[in-house]
Amino acid sequence: MPLSALRTVAKPQNGVGAFILQCKKLEFHYCDWAGSSRGMNAFLKSSLSAFAKRNPSIEISVSPRPRKHPVIRAHYINGNQRSICVRNMTNDIIREKAELLRDASGEKNQKYNKPVTSINESVRGIWSPFHGAKIQI
Amino acid sequence: MSELLALAPDETKIGSTQPTTEFLSFHWNSQFPSLLLSLPLPLPFALFSCTTSPFLMKRIRFSRCATERLASTTSNTTTPRRPSCIHNVAPSNYKIRLQTRFQSTAAAASDAIPAEMDAGAAEPVAPESKPSASSSRAHTRRRLPLEQLPSPHPHSASQSIKLAALRSRLSLPERFPLQTLARTLVHPSADADPAFNNASLSILGANLLGYYTTEYLMCNYPRLPMSVMFAAQDAYIGPKALALISREWGIEAAAAPGGEVDPGLLQFKRLQAGSGIPGVLKQELPWKWNKTTTHKILATDEFGSDQKPPSPHDLARTPVPVQEAAQSFVRALIGSLQLHLGTPLVKRFFRDHFLSRQLDLSTLFDFRTPTRDVSRLCAREGFEPPVARLISETGRLSRHPVFVVGIYSGKDKLGEGAGSSLDEAKVRAAAAALKAWYLYRPLEVTVPSSTENELDAKKWRPNMVDCGEVIV
Repeated sequence: MPLSALRTVAKPQNGVGAFILQCKKLEFHYCDWAGSSRGMNAFLKSSLSAFAKRNPSIEISVSPRPRKHPVIRAHYINGNQRSICVRNMTNDIIREKAELLRDASGEKNQKYNKPVTSINESVRGIWSPFHGAKIQI
Repeated sequence: MSELLALAPDETKIGSTQPTTEFLSFHWNSQFPSLLLSLPLPLPFALFSCTTSPFLMKRIRFSRCATERLASTTSNTTTPRRPSCIHNVAPSNYKIRLQTRFQSTAAAASDAIPAEMDAGAAEPVAPESKPSASSSRAHTRRRLPLEQLPSPHPHSASQSIKLAALRSRLSLPERFPLQTLARTLVHPSADADPAFNNASLSILGANLLGYYTTEYLMCNYPRLPMSVMFAAQDAYIGPKALALISREWGIEAAAAPGGEVDPGLLQFKRLQAGSGIPGVLKQELPWKWNKTTTHKILATDEFGSDQKPPSPHDLARTPVPVQEAAQSFVRALIGSLQLHLGTPLVKRFFRDHFLSRQLDLSTLFDFRTPTRDVSRLCAREGFEPPVARLISETGRLSRHPVFVVGIYSGKDKLGEGAGSSLDEAKVRAAAAALKAWYLYRPLEVTVPSSTENELDAKKWRPNMVDCGEVIV
């Protein structure tokens, strides 16, 4: 065989063709008795339906968690989960926290030192000392 | 605990009055599919407002409250129920029932959905309290508990929040029915009935995927060697790639299939740990002992595989690995999109989800004798015989020499490569020259499927057809 081929799998590029929201489930836990979840209860009563309507691709579940602080827990497509304790927060702040969880990718927070990270080859190519105009010394 | 049980029916009575029914009808309009799971919300609020005991909360199963409530409202519906076996059916209404079974995943009109959901809600809980009413009906059927169904009932699909979220996540329109989406998630290993599993849809989807990928590759890269073509197909729509895609879509697998399982989970019979791969999946012998490329093109699948892939219908009741079930789901989704939404949307879906993936075709080549191939290629195409010339070098006597070699045919440079020895550089240059030839891409391409259902074929431009790879 003069030529054979290597088997690989094409790499995903979320957002290049289709965009898949990485947050797939949001759990809202509240307590009906404790004062720390007063804002959470207000959020569930007033704003949750609008939030769910705006984000139809997220599965939303509401469940009580008696005598505990209210928590929003997000499950992501990569299998990770992230939770935020929203005790003593008001309705608006809880909505912001829910949006923060919705927009997260589910990856661990990490510092990016390079401005651009790409799996594509550089358009200009790598500089080569063997090509181009020769420098006369 | 008895107190609690006594409380729950009261609560359902309270819930059946004004506020909760309003809430239910509100989300049964299917405007907010993902709000479905928030169903327990009004019940606990109503409950706590009347009891005000924090210790009561954690004992009550809110989901059970909800289902009991739903069952109590609409227990006298006359929807067709799924029998255990189609041969057990009474002969009087056999045809009608068979027809109903086969249409069970057909698209429902949007205004018919709430009624159907209503019925579906009544379906799971058999009203044992009223045996006389059910027996007085003309068509008495044995009502199966959900646990005995091999896969979720189609009616339960419209209530699954996971399915609604999945449809929205894939940006599928509302007119794509959730019942069909649920059916694509049922592998034949879970439900052997071809009317309820995804076998037929996955066959259609596999053909469509193969067609669109092949035409994209063949029109855009007309000189691609067949082995590389097979590998590229495998990279885009091979079993591994499809399983990966389904994972990126957020598909979760059910632990075990069954009628009581959420229809938004992938239903298949799992391969037990330690047990070998079943005989259907591993076929030791090739189709024939003929292994030529021509044979692969003519007789095997689009990946040029040596083994015959099992037909989806053969996998009924066979435990399968996750990858097998996941790829059958992706294929079945494509097939059902074709049936429900038509060709243009399938093409767009394919472009967005499959062709948008990054695959560097130049990394797929594995040359054994590139220099010989280049000289054969030049002889075939009538170019001057290729010559390798040293372009530049550094550190020939050092520990890290670098040579840059070009392959020239007359005055044309076909390829160039750098290596730490003269031979390595020459081989790399020859491989680069071959890749430059094989990866030629025409500027304007019209794929054959673009002229489907078009009245004027004037936009069609014939594609380049190459005479093929170099044969040595």
